[in-house]
Amino acid sequence: MAWIVKNSATMKIDRREQPWLDDALKAELEANVLPSYPTKQAATLPVLHAVQHKHNWIPLQAIEEVADFLGLSHAQVMDTATFYEDFWLKPKGKYLIMVCQSITCELMGQVGLLERIKAKLGIDVGQTTQDGRFTLMAAECLGSCDTAPVALVNEKLYESITATNFERILDDLE
Amino acid sequence: MPLAEPILCKRIPTPPWGDPRDRALVTLDQYLETDGYQALRQAVKTDPKDVIDLVKASELRGRGGAGFPAGMKWSFLPPEDGDRRYLAINCDEAEPGTFKDRMIVDFDPHILLEGIAICMHACRLDTAYIYIRGEYHAQAKTLQHAVAEAYKYSVFGKDSILGQINGRDPQCYVHRGAGAYICGEETALLESLEGKRGWPRIKPPFPAVEGAFARPTIINNVETLAMVGPIVLKGADWFKSMGTQRPEGAPPTVPASFGPKLYGVSGHVNRPGVYEDELGITLSELIENHCGGMRNGKKFKAAIPGGISMGILGTDQYDAKLDFDIGKAYGCLGLGTAGVIVMDEDTDIVAATRNIVRFFAHESCGQCTPCREGTAWMYKLLTRIENGGGTTNDLDLLLELAGSMGSMPGTTICGLADGANWAVRTILNKFRGDFEKRVRKQRYVSLPVAATR
Ligand SMILES: Cc1cc2nc3c(=O)[nH]c(=O)nc-3n(C[C@H](O)[C@H](O)[C@H](O)COP(=O)(O)O)c2cc1C
Ligand code: SF4
Ligand code: FES
Repeated sequence: MAWIVKNSATMKIDRREQPWLDDALKAELEANVLPSYPTKQAATLPVLHAVQHKHNWIPLQAIEEVADFLGLSHAQVMDTATFYEDFWLKPKGKYLIMVCQSITCELMGQVGLLERIKAKLGIDVGQTTQDGRFTLMAAECLGSCDTAPVALVNEKLYESITATNFERILDDLE
Repeated sequence: MPLAEPILCKRIPTPPWGDPRDRALVTLDQYLETDGYQALRQAVKTDPKDVIDLVKASELRGRGGAGFPAGMKWSFLPPEDGDRRYLAINCDEAEPGTFKDRMIVDFDPHILLEGIAICMHACRLDTAYIYIRGEYHAQAKTLQHAVAEAYKYSVFGKDSILGQINGRDPQCYVHRGAGAYICGEETALLESLEGKRGWPRIKPPFPAVEGAFARPTIINNVETLAMVGPIVLKGADWFKSMGTQRPEGAPPTVPASFGPKLYGVSGHVNRPGVYEDELGITLSELIENHCGGMRNGKKFKAAIPGGISMGILGTDQYDAKLDFDIGKAYGCLGLGTAGVIVMDEDTDIVAATRNIVRFFAHESCGQCTPCREGTAWMYKLLTRIENGGGTTNDLDLLLELAGSMGSMPGTTICGLADGANWAVRTILNKFRGDFEKRVRKQRYVSLPVAATR
C-alpha cells in the first residue's frame, strides 16, 4: 500500500562514516545512467535500484546521499522511495521470496502453497528468518499467470510450483 | 475463421503453427533473416504524415486496455518546435491475468523496437523510454541487450536509419519501475519516469500536448507498437481483413475491432498460454480450439475477459465475442488487455471477488478518497461475507460503494477505481445468488442523517 505513511516522526537515521553511494558507484551512474535523462530527478529510480542492488536495501543515509548526488532535497527522494514497494528501507533477507497472491494464482492453489512455505520457514508474510536468509512476501500478479502458481526468488521466477518442489528449491539455495 | 498465419507470433512458436516449447529468443540476425527492419526501412522512405495516415486508416486500436485508436492519438501531437518530444512504451503489464507483452519481450524484442522506431519517425519523437515493471528482471535484461543490438544496427543513435529527429540522434532507453501497478496508468508512468511517486495526473493537459518533462509525449502499449511494423509492410486493408466491423449502424467515427490480437488465457483450462487470433473470436472458441477445453472436463462458470478491471462474463456468456465492443454487448467494462481468466464450476466466486478487491485496495495510489477508502472498505466487507459474517445489507452497500468510485462517475483521477467499480458490480449482478447463499438476510431501514440528531 503505497499510501501508508511511514513513521517519519520517530524515524532515526543510523549513520556511518563510509558512504553507501560511494565514488565508484557514482562514477558508474554518471557515465551510464544520468545521460539518459533530461533531468537529474528522473534518475531517481535507477539510482535507487543501483544502491539496492549493491547493498540489498536502501538505508536512510543512502537516501540522503542519493538526494545530494542528484541535487534534490532529501524529502524529494524520500517521497519517491517510500512509494515503491520494491525499495526496501529496512534490511531484508539474502533471498526475497515473493509468492504471487493474485487471482489466477489463487485459483490454481496458491493459498495452500503459501501456508506450506510459511510453515517451512517458520515466519509469516512480511517477516525475515532469524538467520537472515529468507524474507517472505506476497506479491501481486507477476505476469506469468499461464504457469500459475508462481513465485519470484530474488530475480528468478519459479513457475508451476507445488509445495513439494518449491521446498526443494529453497533447500537447494545456499 | 482462424488466422491464416501468425503475425505477432511469426517468430514465436505458437499453436496451431508451432509448439510453445520451441520458443527461444530471436536474435537480431534471426530477426533480419525474417524480414526484420524491412518495415522501418520502408517507413523512413515515407513522409511521416503518411505513416500516421496509414496507421489511422488501419484503425489500429491500443492494446494496453483502453482501446484508443493509435493513429488518432498520434495526430494529437502539436507541430514540432525543434525541442524534445518523447515516446513512452508501456511495458508495466501488472494487470492480473495479463502476460502477453512479456511474451513479445521474452522472445521477439526486435518486433517491438522496430515499431518504436517507426513511431518515432512518424510522430517526430527523438527519445523513447521503455517503462518495464520492476518484477520483469529477465525481461529488462533481454530488452537491454536487444536495444544494444539495435544501436549497433543503427536503428538508434548516431547515424541512425531514422536520421536526426528534432535535431537530435534518436535514443531508446529501458527504464525500470519498482513494484507499483498504478505506474501502468499512463500519467502515473510519466511521473514515475520523472523520478517521482507514481501518482496519476489530472487530465487535461493530455500527454500528447504536455507529457514527460512537460513536453509532447506519446504513450503506447508494447503490443500496439509491435503491430505497427506488420501494418507498414502489408497495408491497412490487410489489417482490416481481420477482426470485426463496427457495430451495425454506427458512424465511421466509431472505431471497429480490426486485426489480430494476443489472448493470454489462464485459469481452469487444459493449455493456458498466449494465443494469437482475430479480434472477435468467441470465448468458447478460444477455450476449446486453442486451450484444449476446460480442465478436468469441468463445466465453465465464469471468465474475466481482459484483466480483472474489466468485470466478468457470466455462465451464460460462454459464447461472448472477444472484441472491443464486448463491454456494451455483454455488460462488462471492455476487452481490456484480453488477458482471459477462466473459472470452472467449482470456483468460489465470493473468494475470487475478495481476491480481486484486495488487489485494488493494495494498489490504489491513495490520492482520491473514494478509491483509497472505498476499495479498503469493500475488501473488509468481502472478507466478512466470505467468512460467513455478512448480511444482505452488505451486498447493497458493496454495490453502492463500487458505483460511487471511478473517473466515470467523476469522483477519482484515474481508471483504477473504475476497474474496482466494474469488477464488483458486474460480479455481484451476474452471481448474486452465490453471494446470497453466504449471507444472513437482514434489512435495516437507514435513517436520513438529519433525523438522527
Ligand atoms: C490503473 C491502470 C493501469 C494500467 N496499466 C497498464 C499497463 O500495465 N500496460 C499498458 O499498456 N496499459 C496500462 N494502462 C492503460 C494506459 O493508461 C494507457 O491507456 C495505455 O498504455 C495506452 O497505450 P495503448 O493506447 O497502446 O493501449 C493502465 C490504465 C490504468 C487506468
Ligand atoms: S483513482 Fe485510485 S489509483 Fe487512481 S489516482 Fe485516484 S486514488 Fe490513485
Ligand atoms: S495471477 Fe499470479 S502471475 Fe498472474
